[in-house]
Amino acid sequence: MTTPEEQPLDARPPSAAVRARPVMVRLRGVVKRFGANAVLKGMDLDIHKSEVVCIIGPSGSGKSTMLRCMAFLEAYDGGEVFVEDRLLGYSTGRDGQRVRAGDAEINQVRRNIGMVFQQFNLWPHMTALGNVTEAPRRVRGMPRAQANELGMRMLEKVGMAPRAHAYPAQLSGGEQQRAAIARALAMEPHIMLFDEPTSSLDPELVGEVLQVMKQLARDGMTMVVVSHEMGFAAHVADTVVFIDQGLIVAQGPPQEIFQGEQHPRLQQFLQNYLERNAFWTR
Amino acid sequence: MKLDLSVLTSNTGAILGGFAITLETWIAGVAIGILAGLAIALLQRRGVSPINRLLRLYIEVVRGTPFLVQLFFLYYGGPSIGLQLEAVTAGILGLGIYGSAYFAEVFRAGFNAIPKGQMEAATCLGLSRWQTVRRVMLPQMLVIIVPSLSNTIIVLSKETAVLSVITVPELTGVLTGIGSASYAFTEVLVTLCFGYLLLVEMTAWFGRWAEAKVGRYMLR
Amino acid sequence: MDSLHSMMQTLPLLLHAAVATLLISVVSLCFAFLIGVAVCAMGFARSRLLRGLATAHVHFFRGVPLLVQLLMLYYLLPGAGINLSSLTAALIAVSFCSSAYMAEILRGGFLGIARGQVEAARMLGLGGLQTLVRIELPQALRLTLPALVSEVILVIKASSLVSVVGVAELTRTAQNVAASNYRPLETYFLAGAVYFALNSVLARLGHLGERRMARAHQS
Repeated sequence: MTTPEEQPLDARPPSAAVRARPVMVRLRGVVKRFGANAVLKGMDLDIHKSEVVCIIGPSGSGKSTMLRCMAFLEAYDGGEVFVEDRLLGYSTGRDGQRVRAGDAEINQVRRNIGMVFQQFNLWPHMTALGNVTEAPRRVRGMPRAQANELGMRMLEKVGMAPRAHAYPAQLSGGEQQRAAIARALAMEPHIMLFDEPTSSLDPELVGEVLQVMKQLARDGMTMVVVSHEMGFAAHVADTVVFIDQGLIVAQGPPQEIFQGEQHPRLQQFLQNYLERNAFWTR
Repeated sequence: MKLDLSVLTSNTGAILGGFAITLETWIAGVAIGILAGLAIALLQRRGVSPINRLLRLYIEVVRGTPFLVQLFFLYYGGPSIGLQLEAVTAGILGLGIYGSAYFAEVFRAGFNAIPKGQMEAATCLGLSRWQTVRRVMLPQMLVIIVPSLSNTIIVLSKETAVLSVITVPELTGVLTGIGSASYAFTEVLVTLCFGYLLLVEMTAWFGRWAEAKVGRYMLR
Repeated sequence: MDSLHSMMQTLPLLLHAAVATLLISVVSLCFAFLIGVAVCAMGFARSRLLRGLATAHVHFFRGVPLLVQLLMLYYLLPGAGINLSSLTAALIAVSFCSSAYMAEILRGGFLGIARGQVEAARMLGLGGLQTLVRIELPQALRLTLPALVSEVILVIKASSLVSVVGVAELTRTAQNVAASNYRPLETYFLAGAVYFALNSVLARLGHLGERRMARAHQS
């Protein structure tokens, strides 16, 4: 859960200071339905610059859905998502009605968001370096030599430089995820979204990925992380958001959430978690 | 582009006759193909090597050469070895042979998909070979092979059009004849398209129905 | 031995015509692939109109026999003022017919690709066309190689039908030879043998290709 070398309560700025920074992503009353079922029932959230937000909650609560709506990988049905003050996914049609925006516009608004997936989603027919350089070359038109140099720098950052020419099938889960992070970083995002980045990894490999994420946080990246890694939430996050049944039930700095007075459902969730993980206390 | 339906209405008899021949050759060809294909697949399972190799060659040759060339071989080449076939007969035979190679592969895949244990159990219980095939294997195979069977049957329905080249008076032959005589190519070809699309879609629909019906009683 | 003698004389002619068959097939396959990719992509579009067009394309070109499509092209267009050579008509007909099968084959391939790959591409800013060409197509091709090889062989066999509109390929040449030497059995046997040889070589190459691809992507 926690690695030996980390100090408790890494020096993060006070939450008032964080909240004073510009808002990078803003959710207002976001609703998402799958059929008749409302998975998100009206979410309001502000993500500030360089803020690390950890989203926790039981499965089925809508955490991943909310993250995917932030990236418009799912089209939300109600409310608004603003990325750097621009409305994502929709525009006002001719008669004042809201219409779904075109693909080009959606890509424009979310071009400063990078995403890391639970299943890594590396492209299997390209090497790690190939994966990292693909977007800079095709989207930014970077020449190959420059892209390769950028790619190697990113891979070094995540500790994957020696494996740059391996194919995903030859990499461990942790290596693949780190390569995926490097791939997202190569496009110089302002915001990084992490959708359960370590949930598919063997326990021994989780640490190396969390280490990379911690470094990113120290470097000032704005991060939204959906995860079950409570240690990360407790020690790296500026804000922890607890979601249950499609609504934000509790929100605040880690100290408040984990040690302060708690909403009963949050209490129940943490109790369940402790029972499953802190087995040595029994 | 005006469609002059009089060309069609004045020849309804011939057109329906052509359609009848299409159906006749198709159904007969499919029947021969399925029976021959099943026989071939069963023989292959007996594992006698020289016969097996011959059958394998037969399947590969029939599937590896164009249907039209096979028809020419039968119809125009047949007389050289004393085989004087009428066009329709040659057509049915040709379809049957062409189909048998494809059906044999379909049945082979079907047989291979049944767990060996089933046959062993049947043998232990005293069922004869034929009983095993009929009562144990074929029913189970059906679910797996219905889509492929349906596909092959559709392919054969379209191949009946090729029969027109060896002067079989099926739908394509009859209608192109009318077209040439009256220069009403548009009407004729549009009718042809409709005719085959109807045939194919109906067969596909029937195939899906059969799939659902057979699948209902089987454990996956 | 008369038969053997005539077959030996016929063979060079047929082999020469086989080149025409190959060329017609290769050109048609290239166009069929391009059209097929386009139709397949349309089948995944958000617009219902595009999806409907894709479905209509596949249903029409797979439902109507190639022979009828060929005749349509050859006989109908002069009425509309377009005069195509029999070769052009043949190429167009075979291309469009095969494109429908290609589209269905590729559809299976595209469906076999994890959706997450496309999502990752989207998030990195790759556009629709870039994602299709750089991410989806390479993987779809690898997944559908056996079916594509089958389609190549089918097209070579289907090309025999263009003899009906007079294109001088293998089957037409065999017909001409048989008409002049009165040995239809030997001639068509030989023609069949040439097709068989051609298809066997292609099937073998296909298997080699499949094995190489499987090895290249092993961990």
